[in-house]
Amino acid sequence: MMRTPTSRPVFLNFARIRFPVGAVASIGHRISGVVLACSLPFVFFALDRSMGSEGEFAYLIDVLRSPFGRMALVLLAWACTHHLFAGIRHLLMDVGVGASLTMARRTAYATLGTAAAIAAAAAVFA
Amino acid sequence: MRLFSGQREFLLQRLTALVMLAYLAAGALWLAFGPSVTFAQWQSWSAKPLAASALLALALALLAHAWVGIRDVVLDYVHPLRLRLAVLSGVAAGLAMLAIWVAMILIRHMVALA
Amino acid sequence: MRFRIYRYDPDADSRPRMQDYELPLESTDRMVLDALVRLKEQDDSISFRRSCREGVCGSDAMNINGRNGLACVTPLKGIAEPVTLAPLPGFPVVRDLVVDMTQFFAHYHAVRPYLVNNEPLPERERLQSPEDRDKLNELYECILCACCSAFCPSYWWNPDKFIGPAGLLQAQRFIVDSRDRITAERLEFLDDVYKLYRCRTIMNCTEVCPKGLSPARAIEEIKVALVRKSV
Repeated sequence: MMRTPTSRPVFLNFARIRFPVGAVASIGHRISGVVLACSLPFVFFALDRSMGSEGEFAYLIDVLRSPFGRMALVLLAWACTHHLFAGIRHLLMDVGVGASLTMARRTAYATLGTAAAIAAAAAVFA
Repeated sequence: MRLFSGQREFLLQRLTALVMLAYLAAGALWLAFGPSVTFAQWQSWSAKPLAASALLALALALLAHAWVGIRDVVLDYVHPLRLRLAVLSGVAAGLAMLAIWVAMILIRHMVALA
Repeated sequence: MRFRIYRYDPDADSRPRMQDYELPLESTDRMVLDALVRLKEQDDSISFRRSCREGVCGSDAMNINGRNGLACVTPLKGIAEPVTLAPLPGFPVVRDLVVDMTQFFAHYHAVRPYLVNNEPLPERERLQSPEDRDKLNELYECILCACCSAFCPSYWWNPDKFIGPAGLLQAQRFIVDSRDRITAERLEFLDDVYKLYRCRTIMNCTEVCPKGLSPARAIEEIKVALVRKSV
């Protein structure tokens, strides 16, 4: 019996696929981008408040100091750093800088490491 | 003009990234070497037409960059045509509203302090 | 040595399963393919493709312990056990480790992987300077094993529309060939949000290429050529 290709199974079990560091940095780039995009309404809200009056500005700082605000700050610190470094990495690779596999692996590790370090620093000091 | 271009959005993504990098570098240099900013200084600086335009340009670059990125995410993961069109129109409408909102914030601020 | 192999028989199984095997290694078993051939003596229902058994034909591409590679050039020495063998990820499975490559080759054909030159034929051959010939290095060596495309997340999500690293490497091989006359047409064909620009330069392709090529780099060069063309 002939089978149509659609009835065939596909092997795509992520638990069984070993992802190289570049793939981890890449999905991080995507996740951090979505996080940043979702934060835009809050960022614009903060911009609005920060220009209003001294009282509103102080209120904004208070919100950011609350436990929820701190969590948001840590998440945003990670997202900003990861997205920034991964983005610079891609811009450089566009023009052939660090485009070899060895260099691309190193810069992927550096991106993941820096973003984690900044998030940790934000968690401690924020 | 095709609805989903290849190179046009690719270039838009790269150019807006470079614009934002320039702003970030300027901001970082100010924080590192410039005088510290009081609330009153920030308030009056951001109400100057030139400064407000610069902030608006930054916000628009950010929104355009977000559009290309989210569009790529949707093109990868959302396949049913109707759902994809619904999600993309929703995202486009949301980003357009954010653009209008940020323009209104900056203009209102400029008028209030004029 | 312990092996765990992805098994799927379309006539008997409703869904794929993993089957464990034990094989006492002999001194002649050097590569994963050697072991696989002897496992088939144990259980002749195991299906897989192989031909040249020396990394030239590209038939025995599969997922070995989570990474795509050629079974014939992956050494058994030092490999983690159980050696898990699965078909190429994202490709429709025909049976066990054998996948349907129809779509993969359709993308290959779509980039017109041959020289197009309608100028009158010279008396002997179309000559190329050594410098121009050098531009084809690290592009022409591709054996179309599909390790790269089957390791590319962008290809997993849009296998019907994205040409994939293997096809795009071939596209670049003909874009840079000094004897080809339809470079502009080739670039125009690729200026598409799906065909070329699904690539996010994840570099999974370059990670697994058994010939040490970099499809990611070739794709970046196509993008640069497209920018040059429109600026």
